[in-house]
Amino acid sequence: MKLGVLQKWMQAVVVHPGTTNQALRSPAASRLLNASDLQSVLLPSPSLSPAERIVVYQEMYPLRMYDALAVDYPGIEHFLGDRFQEFVSAYTAAHPSRGYTLNRLGDHVPAFLKHQRRFSPRPFLVDLARLELSLTEAFDECQGSPFSAADFEAIPPGRIAKTRLLTVPSLRLLALDWNAGEYLDSVRDENHRHPKIAKDRSFILVFRRNYSVFRLRLSPSAFDVLEDIVAGQPLGRVVDRSLARRGSKRASPDDFTRWFRQWTAEGVFAGVKTA
Amino acid sequence: MNPKPKGNRFGFKDLGIGIGLRTAHYAHILAKAPKIDWFEILSENYLDTGGRPAYVLDQVAERYPVALHGVSMSIGSTDPLNCEHLKKLKSLADRTKAHWVSDHLCWTGVLGRNTHDLLPMPYTEEALTHTVKRVKQVSEILERPLVLENPSSYVEFAHSTMPEWTFLARLAEEANCGLLLDVNNVFVSSFNHRFDPIEYIDGIPADRVVQYHLAGHTNKGTHIIDTHSDHAVDEVWKLYAHSVKRTGRVATLYEWDEDVPAFDVVLKEARKADKFRRALPA
Repeated sequence: MKLGVLQKWMQAVVVHPGTTNQALRSPAASRLLNASDLQSVLLPSPSLSPAERIVVYQEMYPLRMYDALAVDYPGIEHFLGDRFQEFVSAYTAAHPSRGYTLNRLGDHVPAFLKHQRRFSPRPFLVDLARLELSLTEAFDECQGSPFSAADFEAIPPGRIAKTRLLTVPSLRLLALDWNAGEYLDSVRDENHRHPKIAKDRSFILVFRRNYSVFRLRLSPSAFDVLEDIVAGQPLGRVVDRSLARRGSKRASPDDFTRWFRQWTAEGVFAGVKTA
Repeated sequence: MNPKPKGNRFGFKDLGIGIGLRTAHYAHILAKAPKIDWFEILSENYLDTGGRPAYVLDQVAERYPVALHGVSMSIGSTDPLNCEHLKKLKSLADRTKAHWVSDHLCWTGVLGRNTHDLLPMPYTEEALTHTVKRVKQVSEILERPLVLENPSSYVEFAHSTMPEWTFLARLAEEANCGLLLDVNNVFVSSFNHRFDPIEYIDGIPADRVVQYHLAGHTNKGTHIIDTHSDHAVDEVWKLYAHSVKRTGRVATLYEWDEDVPAFDVVLKEARKADKFRRALPA
């Protein structure tokens, strides 16, 4: 058997989610090698038949995928419980790893959950997956250079309105509709006192400081202000837009001082771009 | 058996006895700066992160000699080489001043897919020609000789025309690469495929061995799985003792990846190699 054919056949068997017999007889494998001809490709050992030997690889594949996804999605794993393996199989069939690292295997989980019906409540799971993905992304992002209150105060007053603030690369903003954050906290709490899954509109800031990832709940008005900053709006326009909003989305002048002081102390900003 | 190594190891040094850098030991290493000769770095864990792993790696590379060890080069695959991966690998090797870059004689996937397993090669002329060509390409991109590790395996291909050690020996000579001899893998595969592990080791060109791996495994009765768990069994130490007599003192590393114990436990296991290294003539 030619090397290329052998590798395509073996991969088809190894990644098949069913039994080894089903894998050997699957269309992807059997078009390259008839299942009854297995002995012509794989030798038996004194204790194992060829089919029993390839089982070793076939059994390890889903375990490896499970471990990789469980590291990035502990909340989804906890919520789905025994069904997490079923989720892993379905997900990796739709989005097999195509990169050199397993660290990016779970990048499509939020989109995958959004378009499937097997796991529910779907909108809650999508929010939980988005939150967990943002934490993983923040963990791996490049380290931004620190920007202090003194740096901020050094901007000439006449230039502040046209200044654009740069945020650290790890910053992520999420508007969630379900209580995914509260649920994730309960997973990390060893008593696992889970909240009842419910709708809960929340605004979340994720960022990394000193190599630790943090998650803060923001007010709707603060969230909009940070979104405008991330979008590259100059500060004058950020403030004008916020003051023009209505209800809970409208900030007061005092809010800006408080927020900028807090966010600068937290290490959310990485620099400024003056006009 | 050739008892005296010819010394053709591309100038790669005997780094002494090291262990693999693992997340579970980060805090200990940074806080205590333990006395250890060197660390092996799992390349793929550090290629795309700018976070804590990258920070720890830079600290470690500043204080200790390091070598890079990968699991995704897929040198035997019939898919094209992943140039993006190789460029990042070179950049990581340059940044950490890695003494060498190693990966496995295996393939990890085809058709653009990665199973993240070290899948075995058939030992045929076709596979050898294919792998030699790719090792040369990789060495050119990395601008340094590649070092390849013998895999542990659980299947044997009926159409193989040579034993694994002959394949490795020919590959090393024809592609001009180094070898990372994993003694535990030799033992695991010798049990699974019922060959003589001494014959295997004696068939490896001693002057090409630039590094050793040692590890524990899991014996399932019918077969052994290379789990990198636990202490190495006595038979593996005996194979190591036999092999170092051929190669002389070569950088030696203990791998522990499952149920990773405290740093000092892994280091103590690694230092068992000292006894065999010290027994060699200076």
